[in-house]
Amino acid sequence: MKIVFTPDWFLGHDVLIDVFSFVILFLFFLFSVKSYKLNKNKRLLYLGIGFLLIALAELSIILTKFAIFYDTTLTSSIGGLIITYQVVSSVDIIYYLSFFFERLFTLSGLYIIYRLPLKKLSGDFVLVSYFIIIASVMCHNFYYIYHLTALIFLGLITRNYIKVYRKNKSANTQIFILAMSLLAISQVMFVLSKVSYFYVTAQIIQLTSYITLLILIIKITKNGKKNQNKHNL
Amino acid sequence: MERRTRINIIYDILRVIQERGGEIKKTHIMYRANLSHNQMKLYLAELYKKKFIENTDSDKPLIKITKKGQDFLRQYSQVKEFEKTFGL
Repeated sequence: MKIVFTPDWFLGHDVLIDVFSFVILFLFFLFSVKSYKLNKNKRLLYLGIGFLLIALAELSIILTKFAIFYDTTLTSSIGGLIITYQVVSSVDIIYYLSFFFERLFTLSGLYIIYRLPLKKLSGDFVLVSYFIIIASVMCHNFYYIYHLTALIFLGLITRNYIKVYRKNKSANTQIFILAMSLLAISQVMFVLSKVSYFYVTAQIIQLTSYITLLILIIKITKNGKKNQNKHNL
Repeated sequence: MERRTRINIIYDILRVIQERGGEIKKTHIMYRANLSHNQMKLYLAELYKKKFIENTDSDKPLIKITKKGQDFLRQYSQVKEFEKTFGL
């Protein structure tokens, strides 16, 4: 079964996009932990965990894509039928596990980010965890279930942060909403990714979304400095 | 109105000092940061201990924000901006 829809000419470029996404997500994780250490707001820590989970999912997909690349060269150079079969089946297990964890971590991370702006953090965690695991397992046979689930989470995140924006009127929240909306659009494209054109489009939209998140973290850092300078006057 | 946390009060005191050009009288801190005399004494003692503030060399009894205090103020401004962005 085909589990990666990267067209051959795009292989490598998509890994770079994944590496970029990982770096941005990890930056958000580091910033959240740093902020938590300073003011002990537990929600900041949970936000960091959410970003870390999605970052780990990206890392998992990067490693898998590397494995696919080396697997192709390995099987062609070995040539022997039995040895090739053993290599492929062991690599299959790695693919299965890494894709499972990628999906599990991403959906869990998105769920945490979705819950954070709500007043009550407690919810049906056991039930939601069960459905996230089911969705992650089922994605092995029906890849689009993962993208549809992620799309629902991203839609809910966007809705929640629009409510946050109505309260705080912060331009930064607007940027975050834009990034999440772009990620949601990329999930729609990923659903159609059996056609390589859609897969590439989805990856480019994902890249745009992570560039938006990079702009957001730069703005937050600069605004912090600007606020301090404003007090200097 | 929400109750201010300890860290928020520290931030407010340092912000007040910074707003006044980095140097301020104790009494000004008290009314600008909305603190009682006892509260102010406790917080100033903590800020001295942390080396976020120091006394000026001038004859007037002024309090000055240190480089360490300014760094804290910058970092905490970023945290507040981050919290505001995510509605936390």
